[in-house]
Amino acid sequence: MKRIETTIGTVKKDIGNFYQFDKQHFIVMNAVDLGEKLEIQWFFSDYNSTGEVTAYCAQVNPGDEIPSLKSIIPSAWVAEAELADLMDIKIEDTARGFVLEPDSEPAPLRKKK
Amino acid sequence: MGKQYEIPVGAQHISLLEPLHFKFTTGNEKIIDTAASVYYVHRGIEKACCTKFKFRQVSFVVGRVCGLCSISHTTAYSQVAEKLVKIEIPRRAKYLRMLVIELDRIHSHLLCLSHVAENSGFEALFMKTMQYREAFMEMLEAVCGNRVQFDYSIVGGVSRDLKPETARMILTGLKKFRPQLQELFHIYQNNWTLSLKNKGTGVITRKDALRLNVVGPFARATGLETDVRSQTEDLLPWKEAGFRIITEQTGDVYARNMVRLREVENSMEMISNVIDGLPESPIIQETKSFPDGEAVVRLEAPRGELFYYAKGNKTQVLERLKIKAPTFSNISAMVEGFRNNEYGSVPAIIASYDPCLSCTAR
Amino acid sequence: MSTFLKTIGNLFKPPVTKRYPFEKTFLAENYRGMIGFNEEACIWCRRCEMACPPGAIVFSQAMDGKQTYHYNRAVCIFCEECIRSCPKAEAGALYQTGVPAPCALKEENINNGWADICSEAVRGREAYSAEKKRLAAQKAVVKEATGNQADESTAGKI
Repeated sequence: MKRIETTIGTVKKDIGNFYQFDKQHFIVMNAVDLGEKLEIQWFFSDYNSTGEVTAYCAQVNPGDEIPSLKSIIPSAWVAEAELADLMDIKIEDTARGFVLEPDSEPAPLRKKK
Repeated sequence: MGKQYEIPVGAQHISLLEPLHFKFTTGNEKIIDTAASVYYVHRGIEKACCTKFKFRQVSFVVGRVCGLCSISHTTAYSQVAEKLVKIEIPRRAKYLRMLVIELDRIHSHLLCLSHVAENSGFEALFMKTMQYREAFMEMLEAVCGNRVQFDYSIVGGVSRDLKPETARMILTGLKKFRPQLQELFHIYQNNWTLSLKNKGTGVITRKDALRLNVVGPFARATGLETDVRSQTEDLLPWKEAGFRIITEQTGDVYARNMVRLREVENSMEMISNVIDGLPESPIIQETKSFPDGEAVVRLEAPRGELFYYAKGNKTQVLERLKIKAPTFSNISAMVEGFRNNEYGSVPAIIASYDPCLSCTAR
Repeated sequence: MSTFLKTIGNLFKPPVTKRYPFEKTFLAENYRGMIGFNEEACIWCRRCEMACPPGAIVFSQAMDGKQTYHYNRAVCIFCEECIRSCPKAEAGALYQTGVPAPCALKEENINNGWADICSEAVRGREAYSAEKKRLAAQKAVVKEATGNQADESTAGKI
């Protein structure tokens, strides 16, 4: 796995430069609770014979709004809607309620303080 | 255009196998727009894996994510855990994992094919395909000791060895299945009633498949050569077992049927190759270390690419486990594939997507 | 025409289904069924309890230190992880019986009887270890006291 560190401000530009729809395959978006901060990861793999996985990682504060990649990768909405619910993070123009019911406990995958 | 109607299908519907909801906007029987809702069976398995269970036990928990691709989930998790504890498993264990994954692929593909037949209105073919599938369920039971929950891959290897009489049983079963597969090929290719519902419906083009990141037989039916088995050789030696990539060009329901049938044929070759060339070695590698660092694993499940991300923190319990199931990637293309089809073709198209919602919602 | 002849021919073929209750269906030779336990071979290390993913094995402990094995076939997932972790598996402490589990009763329900057994077992073990600690502490006190009194050559009074 190739890790590329990026920041929340530049991630959209970085991935926009990197991602070509016929060369890279967008796998999924993931978030890891590091305690104080959250790490957001975007995984890509190549369509070539080695299929190397590239991960773009950005550390964010829990309240930050994360840019949406829907304009670059049309199928990213599923992963974004899922993470917004399970991790309780704000993602640009993503509504809540795709995974969890409105009356369920919020942010199940975040660590309890 | 005329008047538009909104027709809901699901979450409980006779043509659906699993809880999935589509809302179709139709005009004159043609589908104009679709919206999907998939999270009816969210069980919080990722949360349970990171809090309640030790890392050795998690491989049994993730097997319960899905009934049909149970072995793919346990194997992918075992591989990612082996990367975290930094061990290399014995060669025999790799081959046995491959054997069970391929047997599982055959039974999963036959199940999907039978449901396409049923949803196209061909009940007799459904029965016939399910009858042939039963032989593979028995083989899996003989190898793993259970029909559905195999629990075969564990961290460090596999749980039980292949007995010579079981190997013989599999080889005779495959020999018996070969003419039956030709019969299925004949029916799925040439049956006129089936072709009305299957040929030219639910088309996804290669460009759309690339744009929407489609995986599995769904993508291969459009001519897109994407198969994790052709890319990762280090974890399981697929090419040694005789894997070849299978694609079709048209991208409709018929092409998906053909991809599945030809993959069944390829899987049969691989199974007999694995049994013939099974290396001698122990089947498990013991370890005392705890998971540390982070790792990813991709594995080709029957429905497409399965992705596992795990992060350890030098304790028994993992810090984070992320499961990406194949159907998860296909949702956007599933919505797209209905456009401009007759509403009457919807059941067959849904079945041909082979959606696995319990994987997707976890 | 050929389809018609095939249909007529099929009328005289035997059924492909099995007459289930009268005829046995396929059961693999090494079928994974319920877990058996042999008290004589067990060394009471509780490794199976720690390894069991769903928690189907629990040891309760009486105040005299004797442990009892409890197994719930309704909670068990038949993964054999307990047998793999057992140091005395070869001696037959835990073994695979190969018998499919019958339906569970209400007492074995994870929310009813089984939860009571689990909490009782935890409480019993805690009580036993507390008692053991207390006895050890008492013994230490006694030893100290006897040690001090030995200097005053009044040993044996306590």
